[in-house]
This record gives sequence, C-alpha cells and structure tokens, in this order.
Amino acid sequence: MARETTALSRRDVLKASGAAGAAGLTGLAGCAGGGGGGDSEYPSLGNYPVEGDEVVFGFNVPQSGSYSQEGADELRGYNLAVDHLNNGGGWADTWSDLSGDGVLGKTVTSVEGDTATNPDTARQSAQRMIDRDNAVMISGGSSSAVAIAVQGLCQEEKVQFQCCVTHSNDTTGPECVRYSFREMFNAYMTGQALAPVLSEEYGEDLNFYQLYADYSWGQTQQASMEKFFTEVGNWSQLESVATPLGTSDYSSYLSDVPRDETDVLVLNHYGLDAANSLPQALEAGLDQDMEIVVPLYNRLMAEAAADSIGGIFGTVDWSWQLDNSPSQAFVEEYRAEHDRAPSYAARIAYTQTMQYAAAAERAGTFYPPEVIRAMEGYEYDNAGLGSETLRKCDHQGQRDVLVTRGLPSGEQTEDRLLEVVNQTSRDKLGYACDAGPAAECELGEYGDE
Amino acid sequence: MPLQLDIASILLNGLQQGAIYALLGIGLTIILGTMEFLNLAHGALYLVGAYTGLIVFQETALTNGLLYSSGITTIGFEGGFLAALIVVPIVGFGVGLLMERFVAEPFYDRPETDQLLVTFGLALIVEETIKNVIGGNTFQSIAPQTIFGVNVSQPVNLPVVGLFPSWRLFIIVIAFVVIAATWLAIERTDFGLVVQAGTHDSEMVRILGIPINRSYSLVFALGAALAAFAGLIGASIQTLSPQIGTDQALLPAFLTIVVGGAGSVRGAIAGGLVLGLIISAMTQTYSQWAQIVLYLFVALMLVFRPEGLFGSGEVGE
Repeated sequence: MARETTALSRRDVLKASGAAGAAGLTGLAGCAGGGGGGDSEYPSLGNYPVEGDEVVFGFNVPQSGSYSQEGADELRGYNLAVDHLNNGGGWADTWSDLSGDGVLGKTVTSVEGDTATNPDTARQSAQRMIDRDNAVMISGGSSSAVAIAVQGLCQEEKVQFQCCVTHSNDTTGPECVRYSFREMFNAYMTGQALAPVLSEEYGEDLNFYQLYADYSWGQTQQASMEKFFTEVGNWSQLESVATPLGTSDYSSYLSDVPRDETDVLVLNHYGLDAANSLPQALEAGLDQDMEIVVPLYNRLMAEAAADSIGGIFGTVDWSWQLDNSPSQAFVEEYRAEHDRAPSYAARIAYTQTMQYAAAAERAGTFYPPEVIRAMEGYEYDNAGLGSETLRKCDHQGQRDVLVTRGLPSGEQTEDRLLEVVNQTSRDKLGYACDAGPAAECELGEYGDE
Repeated sequence: MPLQLDIASILLNGLQQGAIYALLGIGLTIILGTMEFLNLAHGALYLVGAYTGLIVFQETALTNGLLYSSGITTIGFEGGFLAALIVVPIVGFGVGLLMERFVAEPFYDRPETDQLLVTFGLALIVEETIKNVIGGNTFQSIAPQTIFGVNVSQPVNLPVVGLFPSWRLFIIVIAFVVIAATWLAIERTDFGLVVQAGTHDSEMVRILGIPINRSYSLVFALGAALAAFAGLIGASIQTLSPQIGTDQALLPAFLTIVVGGAGSVRGAIAGGLVLGLIISAMTQTYSQWAQIVLYLFVALMLVFRPEGLFGSGEVGE
C-alpha cells in the first residue's frame, strides 16, 4: 500500500520522537521516510526493518487470572524455543529451515507480558511490545477473547501474531486477520472429533445438558457441541446455560441440572473455571446419574480432578505421549530443562515460535507480507501431529485432533493423567473455505498492496 | 424440575454461600462500626486464611515463585483440615493484631480516603507478596476426604434435594457454629457489650473509663480471624490463587454490610444470608440476571433503606 511506504506511521513518529527528544518533528522527516535507515530491500512496515543484531519476539501470556497456570507453561515453551533458535537443539536441529544460530543472522531475544486473561490488558501489553520493544512477532493466547483482541491489534500494526492456545471458532472465523495464524484446532473440530466417539461409547438418542463459559470460546464451543452431538448421535439438547468467565462456585448451576433427564453433562469450561466446575460436578455426585464430558481438556483441570476424571472424554491439542520423533525430541528437551513432561500449551508455544522463525528464513526477510506468504498454505509434518497445513484462506491449521479419556486414579502418574483413545485424521475434520467459520472470514490486507 | 426440589437446593446453596458472606461481613462490620475504620484489606485477610489453610492442610508442590527459585519445591505440613480449622483463625487473629497496631491505629483519626488508600495498598502488597513468594499458580481446593471419622468426599442423599455434596453440608454447619459463637460473644459477654457500646458511641465509652483501645485491638483481631476462617472455608470448595482476596471476598463483604447495616453483627448475618440466597436463586433460575439482580437489590437498599436491615445509621455516616 502506497500509504505505508511514503507516509509516517503513528509508530514511526513515536519512535522517532522518542529518539530525538525535544528536537521536534521537522528534523525527522528524512530519517523516517527512507524506511528507518535499515538494511531493507522492502519499505518500512510494522517493526520492519529490524535494526541491530537482535530480533525481538513478544510473548504475551496470562501470568495472572483464570489461565495463569497455562501461561506459565507457555512461557517455558517459548523460552525453550528461543534457546534452540539461538543455540541449536530441539527442532532447530531437525527443521531444515532453521540454523540454530539465530534467525536471519540475528540473535533472538524476547520480552514477556501479562495478559491477565483480559483482552484490554493483553492489548496494552502487546502495544508496549510493539512500540517500546520493537517486537516483530507477538505470540500468546489462552483465552480466545485475548487472542482475538491482540490479533486485531497486530493486523492494525502490521506485526505478526502467532496464536498460542485459542480454540474459539471465531479466531479464524469472523475475527480472522491476515497477520495471524492458528495451528491449534478449534471448537468446530472438537465437535467433529468427539461426537462420533461419544455416540459410539454412550449410544444414540441421548439428552445432553451444557454449561459454557460466557465469552467467545465458550459460545462457539457450545454451538459446535450442539451442532455435532445433534447431527451425529441424534442427541437432544435439554438446555445450554452460560456461566460467567471466572466463576468459582458452580454449585447453583449444577443443582439445576435435571438428574433424571440428563444422560450427558457437557462442561464447556477451561483452565481455572474447569478446575472448579469439574470437581464440583463430581462432588455433587452428578457422575452417578450421567456421563460428564469436558470437550477441551488441559493439564490444570485434569490435575484438579485427578481423582475423578477416570473415563471422562475430551480433546487435547497434543500429548507428550505421542510416539513420533518431533514430539519425543521436544519432550526430551523440555524434560531436561523442567524435569517433567510438557503440557500441550508448551508445545504450541514452542511450535509457534519455531514456525515464525522458519517462515522468516524461508522468506529471507522479516518483511511481514513476505513472512505471511511463506506461511500461507505451508505444509509440514515436523511438529508432532503428522501432516499439517496452514490453510491460506483462513489461516487455520488443518491437522489431526486427539480424543482423550481420563485414566482411573490407580493408573495415573504425575504426567500421565489422560490416555489418547483416538487420533482423528484431519481428512475427517474441518470445513471448506466457504463453509463453517471460514465462510465468515475476511483476512484483510498484507500491507504491501 | 419440581418446585420443592428447586427451593430446597436454592436454600442449601444460598446458606452455604451466605455463611461465607456473613463471616466476612461480621468481621468488616465490627471493625467499621467500632473504629469507624474502612478496611479494604479485609479481602487480604481472607487470602491469608486460604493460603494458611493450604499450608497447614497438606504438602503442596510449587512450580514457580521466590521459594521455588530458592530450591524449596514444596510447602506445607500435611496437618489435615482439623489442624487448619484451629491454626487459621489463630493466624488471622495474630495478623489482625499486627495490622491494627501498625496499619490501622495511625489512621484512626485520619480522613476515610487515607484509610481506604492505606488498606487498599496493604491488600495489594499481601496479594503480590503471596504471588511472588509462593507463585501465581492456582492451587486445588483443600477439602478433606474424611473429618471426625466421617467420609465427606461422597455426596449424601437428602430428602427432597437428592444428592448433595456432604462436604458443603459440613461447611454450612461449621460456619453457622462459628457465626453463632461470635454472635453470642458480642451479645452476651462484657467484651461484646463494650464492642456494642463502641459501635454506638466510642467517645462515651472512653469517657466512662473503659479501655476501649484494648478492645479495638481485640475487635480488629476478631474480625481478621473471622475473615481468615472464611478464607479457609472458601479454599475448601474453590481453587486458590492470589486474586481470590479481591475477587471473592472484598466486594461481597462490603455488599453484605450495605444490606445488613454497618456496625450490626445481626445485620451482617442477615445481609450475608440474603445475598447468598439471591445469588443462589437467580443463578439457578435466570442465571444471566444473577449479577444484575444482586446489584440492583443492593442499589435499592441504598436508596430506600440506606441504614441497612439492622444498621443504626447510614453507611459512611
């Protein structure tokens, strides 16, 4: 876009005025107009060109709030990735695009932010990373509301966003943006993977009752469960009840579940919410009258209800138990550093960092539109989940989904709380570019049109 | 769902939630009534109670924080819940004494805004200290499997209600025992008489030669012990994180005394129960309206009965 190449962006002005102090704007036009004086073959855009010997990645994760525990593990994944990118090891040794000696000859450094599991806080934190730290890539999530807010900002600022944990259909549906990619599966795919397994396990023509966290993820989650449970197993929804994000006491919601009519209770909660709702459902003895399903498991909730998750189905993004070489290489590296198995949040964080670095290497530049093009339609099978594609039309990863079941407490170990019962092939999942959530996706500009 | 079943479960859930609100409200109201001291650190006392309970109850693995980075990977004593029931109020009482002496007392004669600022600052300091030392992790609730030899991990089958978590029944009983004991202490003892007199006219009590300063310390410590106890009860049914003091305790405590009336123990008990029942009833029937109705109710109380159900004067008067 011509505007980007010739005019001063707001950030150019901010940076330049910071550097020049009280010198005033008149003396700066020549400095900024030439693209920041870098080694660019492309015009200035976002935080391109990258000055100096270092390139900055911003890791914007929940360090407080409902999803903080997950954020801590994401950070471990991110930091491991930075270490491997700079010093070799892990996937930096096996991905042909990566050198293990920085990215495009620059050392990777990182800045961390706390999203507090709050979209506004997350945007402010990301804005600081972009303006103050000159981050060329932001990654983060946990809470789709956060991911959607930050990827919107990144589109405006022309800075790449790599989605970490975000499972709402909206992230790559109506809220999709050109500057963001999501490898994680979504609620729609959870429904597609889970419904056949559940209807085979529990039967057809059942009644189900849903509780869902009342924000982007929970809403699309409950809609997807309703769609696929109804279509695949001919189940009937009794009711679907919204619970505010961050609810800690679910006893009143759970009291309202009709025990005599409900065959399956679906708890569309995640992180801390699920760590409360699942144990409280079991404490109330609901599992004695019905089956309980938690469509999206994570480690925190599995640990929270470790004594009682035996037989409870759900889906996960990835499992350290997967027996393939990329997975095991990552698990080994993570274990060496942290003395336990990584959660899937750590793997996504690690993958997203590697993925961005590899795309920049393929593009041969940090110029955002070229990095995006290097990622669009990219096919790979080196991230632990078999063949995957970052689809061009909506930037949604097309990949397998793992259906898991909680292990009985007698069979659990510290790291192994769930067993993988089915790896649903990506061929059986997803939707066309003009269907499902993708039908509502308008990616927006690259920034160099 | 049959109506009687609905009503029964609303009552039980409301009593359980209301009991925690009442414990918080009593502590806040006697401090406010007696010393005219607005304690925004009341939630921090709940937080201290919850974490003390965690530490006494069991050995817990740490994954981050100052202790973890210093090589301490677990904290806790495996003391069990009964030990926590004894230790937590004592710790709360001790913290209350210290807080009264070093934070509250210098601010008794200062404007209310100063009191608000210093206690809110203290609340942040406590929250951040716990976050930095123990870590910002979420810890699981600390309900025991058995207590007094009774298995409380399984639900019990109650008439009308059907299955109900037995641990929550136990909580309702023990919380009301503590509430009743506090009420008796305020209503039936000399100490309680001084507290009551102090809430009406502390100057007159002082003129009568009663050492009200000593009572101040005890009242503050008693309020702190009740808040810490509420924290222990809360931690036994919900997850723990450094934010719970502000999120789950401070606001409900203030709402409780707005409804019940500042300075009235009876009011705090009634206010807590009313709020608990409103939340429980609305959540179970029209859950999307629960928060709206709750705050609307409190707003209407402020408009039409600003002195609260049992208060002697308007809040803040």
